[in-house]
Amino acid sequence: MEKNKAISLLLKDPRTRYVIIGVLVATIPFLATAGLLRSAVVILIGSILIYSVAGLGINILLGYSGLISLGTAGFMGFAAYIAAYLTMNLGFPFEITLLISIAVPVLLGLFVGLVSFRIEGIYLAIATLSVGEVLRRSFEELVGFTNSFAGMRVNYPTLFGVWSLDRNGTFVLIAVALTLAMILTHNIVHSRPGRALHAMRGSTVAAQAMGVNILRYRLFAFAVSTGLVALAGVLYVHFVRFTHPDIWGWGLSLNILALVIIGGLRSIYGTLLGAFVVFGIPSLILVRLPIIGDIPGVSFVFNGIVIVIVVLLYPRGIVSIFTDIGKLIKKTGRA
Amino acid sequence: MSSQMNALLREKEILKVSNLSISFGGLKAVDDISFLVHEKEIFGLIGPNGAGKTSVFNCITQFYRPDGGEILFRTNRGEVVDLVGKKVHDIISLGLVRTFQNVEVIRELSLLDNLLLGAHTEYKSSVISQILRLPNAKRDEREMAARAEEILEVLGILNLRDVPAGGQSYGVLKKVELARTLMTKPRIIILDEPAAGLDDGETLQFAETIKQIRDRYNLAILLVEHDMRLVMGICDRVCAINFGRYLACDIPAEIQKNKHVQEAYLGEEESDVD
Repeated sequence: MEKNKAISLLLKDPRTRYVIIGVLVATIPFLATAGLLRSAVVILIGSILIYSVAGLGINILLGYSGLISLGTAGFMGFAAYIAAYLTMNLGFPFEITLLISIAVPVLLGLFVGLVSFRIEGIYLAIATLSVGEVLRRSFEELVGFTNSFAGMRVNYPTLFGVWSLDRNGTFVLIAVALTLAMILTHNIVHSRPGRALHAMRGSTVAAQAMGVNILRYRLFAFAVSTGLVALAGVLYVHFVRFTHPDIWGWGLSLNILALVIIGGLRSIYGTLLGAFVVFGIPSLILVRLPIIGDIPGVSFVFNGIVIVIVVLLYPRGIVSIFTDIGKLIKKTGRA
Repeated sequence: MSSQMNALLREKEILKVSNLSISFGGLKAVDDISFLVHEKEIFGLIGPNGAGKTSVFNCITQFYRPDGGEILFRTNRGEVVDLVGKKVHDIISLGLVRTFQNVEVIRELSLLDNLLLGAHTEYKSSVISQILRLPNAKRDEREMAARAEEILEVLGILNLRDVPAGGQSYGVLKKVELARTLMTKPRIIILDEPAAGLDDGETLQFAETIKQIRDRYNLAILLVEHDMRLVMGICDRVCAINFGRYLACDIPAEIQKNKHVQEAYLGEEESDVD
């Protein structure tokens, strides 16, 4: 009896559920090894998980703090290039590379946070968009560092200097990172700093009256958000094993923003769901369809249509469809 | 510095506004206003629309920086400080909390979470240990939740503890905002037009709540209000201002009889002659 109670309590903890999701996701590449999935699908799902990590970062910024960034791709690419340069050109171990590739973009993110103290809304959107574009242009121009349009090749990571991961191992690493990112996001938003972010989004004046230091929490939001986006960048370059300036354009920033809005602002599950809709459905289903699949840029058209539908019908994101269904089941169950 | 300032407030005095002035582009919104609030007193600051009440309010809470004057306040720790020049987000930890005219609660958060937000400055643990849920952060969280539940109980809204604030009635939201101010165990709370948006019955009810809060938590309450029903019913003393200038400061009955105050509210007799 006691044991059952403890287990059901553990299952009720959202963090346990994130771990379960992580474990389930981690089995996906082995399905491919067993011949049940095509390996292209595994690479696609892996990158969807990576975009989910970046999406969690943007959700903290936009969903919880009410701040916008359109420079996501630039920051993600920045981390990817640092990771590529440090491991391939300088031979740094993966762990140190990871730390540096997150720390440097976070410093830049803190600077943007400092700027956000002065500008808001559409002006902040434009400012971050230009930061992102400046970064992308730098990837093209700084040939010595980025190899420009020739791109850079990177290997799968080697952990602790001895444990070389293959594709499946790297996929598991991504699943672990995503699980940790979900738990981190959950812990932040359901504790004192998260409530401070909520207050700041609602009204800076009221937040200050509650004793919230606006500048400190703006910086906090940008630091956490950029940290997660940078982590996504490092994972990407080590999983796809290639980076090129064209990957990090503002189209990717918009897609990550779209996945957060489509999935559901202020929802961790919504972010995952949004990533699958935005990055999964076009490549898995749409391109296979006759005629529709031949339209160039069909994924952008699809995302645009989905955003319009979601904003009109489900302003809280498609994750709210599931919560609504859950409520309905409870209601009919009680009646 | 502060030992010298301690002499500036006599015993039982908690807030002393002296010669406060602020102007916006040449218009004097507050012109040389002084008043004094005692401990455990319900003090009303009244005046017709545009009298400068809200400007006085914002000067005290440091949302505006006054051009001149002093705002002496006896803090939680018993020392006397001048609030002028303090940071807005530091005011609450000194023991002075405010509410807002248009009720600033976070709609997406539960009532409990809204109250916990009010305790933002009360946590002893660091942000890092809060994110990692270390034992000291959990202890803080439990302590604050217990405090919040007690306050919700006193205000009779404990049953709504886990409901999002978004769907609640205006009366409940006003209570939530009031409850939130109590989380930091303040010495004084400043209410910005608490009767705004309430009907007669609700206003009476809210007046009772305010009295109850004062008696239970032993704090002073500064009401900024133009609704005379509320002010006359519960205030110990009232200060009336108009056009940014001081009119009178007295018990409610005397204020009602005061000729200058009547003129301010009803218009001067001469102005009727055209």
